[in-house]
Amino acid sequence: MGENNAVKTTGYAADGAEVLFFNIGETIYGIEIKYINEIIGIEQITVVPKIPDHIKGVINIRGKVVPVISVRKRFGMDEIPYDDRTCIIVLEFEGGEQVGIIVDRVQEVIVVKQGDISKTPDSKNVNTNRYIKSIINMDSGIRLLLDCDKLILD
Amino acid sequence: MAKFEAGMEAMADMYVFETTTLLEQLDQILMKTENESSFGEEEINEIFRTMHTIKGSSAMMGLDNMSKLAHAIEDMFYIIREEHPVISSMESLYDLVFNASDLMKAEIELLQEDEYTQTDFSDQMNKIESFVAVLKGGAPAEAAPVQAAPAQAAAAPAASKAAAEQTEVLVFFNEDCKMENLRALLVINRITESCSKLEYFPADIENNSETAQDIIENGFTVRFTPANGTATDAVLEIIRTTPNVRSCEVTARGTAAASSAPAAASGLTTVRVHFDDDCKMENLRALLVVNNIREVCDSVSFEPADIEENAETSKTIIEEGFVVHFASEKPEMVLQIIESTPSVKAYEIMEDAPAAEDTPAPQTAAETKAEPAKAAEKPAETKPQAAAPAADSKKTTEQINNMLGAQKGGGAKQSLISVNLNKLDTLLDLVGEIVITEAMVTSNPDLKGLRLDNFQKAARQLRKLNSELQDTVMSIRMVPLSGAFNKMTRIVRDMKVKLGKDVDLIFEGEETEVDKSIIDQLNDPLMHMVRNSMDHGIEDNVEDRIAAGKSPKGKITLSAYNSSGEVIIVVADDGAGINPEKVLAKAERNGILTKPASEYTEKEILNMIMLPGFSTNEQVTEYSGRGVGMDVVRKNIEKIGGTVSVDSKLGEGTNFIIKIPLSLSIVDGMEVSVGDSIFTIPINSIRESFKVKPNQLVKDTSGKEMIMIRGECFPLIRLYELYDLKPGTDNLYEGIVILAETEGRCACLFADELIGEQQVVVKPFSALLNNYNVKQHGMAGCSILGDGSITIILDVSNIISDF
Repeated sequence: MGENNAVKTTGYAADGAEVLFFNIGETIYGIEIKYINEIIGIEQITVVPKIPDHIKGVINIRGKVVPVISVRKRFGMDEIPYDDRTCIIVLEFEGGEQVGIIVDRVQEVIVVKQGDISKTPDSKNVNTNRYIKSIINMDSGIRLLLDCDKLILD
Repeated sequence: MAKFEAGMEAMADMYVFETTTLLEQLDQILMKTENESSFGEEEINEIFRTMHTIKGSSAMMGLDNMSKLAHAIEDMFYIIREEHPVISSMESLYDLVFNASDLMKAEIELLQEDEYTQTDFSDQMNKIESFVAVLKGGAPAEAAPVQAAPAQAAAAPAASKAAAEQTEVLVFFNEDCKMENLRALLVINRITESCSKLEYFPADIENNSETAQDIIENGFTVRFTPANGTATDAVLEIIRTTPNVRSCEVTARGTAAASSAPAAASGLTTVRVHFDDDCKMENLRALLVVNNIREVCDSVSFEPADIEENAETSKTIIEEGFVVHFASEKPEMVLQIIESTPSVKAYEIMEDAPAAEDTPAPQTAAETKAEPAKAAEKPAETKPQAAAPAADSKKTTEQINNMLGAQKGGGAKQSLISVNLNKLDTLLDLVGEIVITEAMVTSNPDLKGLRLDNFQKAARQLRKLNSELQDTVMSIRMVPLSGAFNKMTRIVRDMKVKLGKDVDLIFEGEETEVDKSIIDQLNDPLMHMVRNSMDHGIEDNVEDRIAAGKSPKGKITLSAYNSSGEVIIVVADDGAGINPEKVLAKAERNGILTKPASEYTEKEILNMIMLPGFSTNEQVTEYSGRGVGMDVVRKNIEKIGGTVSVDSKLGEGTNFIIKIPLSLSIVDGMEVSVGDSIFTIPINSIRESFKVKPNQLVKDTSGKEMIMIRGECFPLIRLYELYDLKPGTDNLYEGIVILAETEGRCACLFADELIGEQQVVVKPFSALLNNYNVKQHGMAGCSILGDGSITIILDVSNIISDF
């Protein structure tokens, strides 16, 4: 996965940003590629007691202990059994902190043009909007770009 | 870092390290002299040298302001040393120097930041200058030495007897030491007092900087006559120990008596020393011998003479031995020192040495001269070499070894190096990985059911080596606590002055060693606690102390010792102690009680002072001030995996007890399973593990379970209940019970089964999990097991206190 590549295209350059799309149920969400370290298959998750439900526990990625979050749980949806398409997207934040998010299916990486990105409506009502950074208009339909910081930390 | 000229950046680290060390030494000297309330010659010299070094290295780094400040202090001590002025206010002198030392330390800290501009020290400089002015004003008039010296020498119309003892020496300075003329002046100033007559050439060193070149080329000639009661040797010694003096050669002596210097009255002994075979670097070992005995000898010379510069001499030493001539009042002692020097195999006393005791001094000299060439060239040739190390005789032999190693480059080996801490951290991480990988290999699931005798043998060997490797890496990182303790002297000193309390600070067990990363985190909490003890522990009024039958002088004791894999540090004061009732009342007011006040034990109450809600801004009183910053202390200590507790007896004093792990990273643990989870319990908090028998189970009225062991009752904590897990078994008699103990409290932990004992490398939880207070719930961190799965390391003390 082009980590270096991602660094070069941080933010919204003239030609847009690279975004990885994935499925939660039927909805397709996107995450800017600059946050993404790697994508791995689901592995054994060690349960850590006394933490919120949406944090499933910790996994071992080459000697590093990384917490994983279920995006379904985070969005207040029911969890489905893991299958061979279930993936963990490992995000890396400033300072090297890594967090994995469990998604149903990974789709593709697409360069999104600046012009295709619009802001989320300013609404206090929409719960999922808490984690949405912006909305992407694409030929294939409308997709939602997730705000990683809020998804993980809030 | 564009702070330094090109090429200097590499030196910056070294500079910071060296200067910090020097400043710490300076503080220690000051503290020591302040306690003894006298400045010895030695201490003044030491301060002088320290400042001189800082001045030089700062100038080299282009830090002019630092250099100037150091120079000002150097000057001040120069005056103190040379003129012995009456110092009207010792306190202001100490304040001045302490302040300067603080400023320099602050500057060094600044230096390590990216944006750095030199601080202007002119305020401090002015203060020093005005102090110097006072010093000078108060000093006896004739002792404005620089100008007075020659005048004095001329005026003293050569007492006829003194003239007879005139000695002429030729002094050379270290190459590249710069400003040779001023260094020469320093020599003159230092010996003025011990000489009744003094001339030197070039004469205009003070005003004419051109003379520096002359001195470099031809040396600096001094002709002196020692004052009454001063030995020529003493003067020579002063010259030799002057900073930057490379050599001091006696070129002419007025009388035979004076020339007997090398063969002082007590007689010359010659010893041939042999070193261990194959000990390598014989020349440096020989130098070590010379350095060791120099202190107890009036004079020392040796052959081969150029051991320091010439590594080839080791061959000579191996073949012919190392010949030392020395004169001492206690030759037996010298011999003993020689014998005890490392690597010395044997020594023999040589009969052909001139027996000075039997012959009058002049004859001795004659005899020395009469000896074959060997001896004759001795004074001339050996002195220069001998002089250089003599200047450093204060330094420990280790340092000398070290310096020699550094100077000689390729030829010699150093025995000490300083290493970047990051590298050690990486090394430790690597060792951690190796420990995990070893377990991964040796307990690999693929091996299950196979019978592999040779493999097991090799695996055992690997395990042994690994644990040795681990111990070694750990020991490299261990640092004695004395450094952290010594910093406290300074705080106590400052507070003593501010609060007007007389307090003794006592250290015990400061040689106890702790991992470097822990020591760094320990300074702040220690400081807080010592401050607390000073401020609130020790009574404000001396009368109160006397009334309580205590010595008027307060006592704060810092002690440290090892106990079962932990280091325990106690900060104890013999002050008023904490009144638990008042603490409880205050806690109630602040609303931090979680159960009825009557249910609190005294220990719980005392430890409340470290709760975050306890400390307030209320002004210092007997009880309230105690809380200031204590919750910060607790947090800091917990961050490094330690605990703090308080113990106090009203009227007798207060103890703060810190327990910290020896090392943060590798723990001996017992693995237990609970359902699908594996937990690791540190071995040092396990007392025993056992299966429960029905007759051991006790239930209290509310159904809480307890277990009776040998007449004692302990609460039972079912781990699956504590952590809401699905257990493998909830039948108490099927699972295993571990009796855990920490800080004097015990509890039984119930788990499915024991898996085994293993060393695990502690990995801290990520920040995300720490947000949810996992530590509070008794999870200290996690670790990766041999099969790649993750285990959670339990912190028994938190589990028990939570319960």
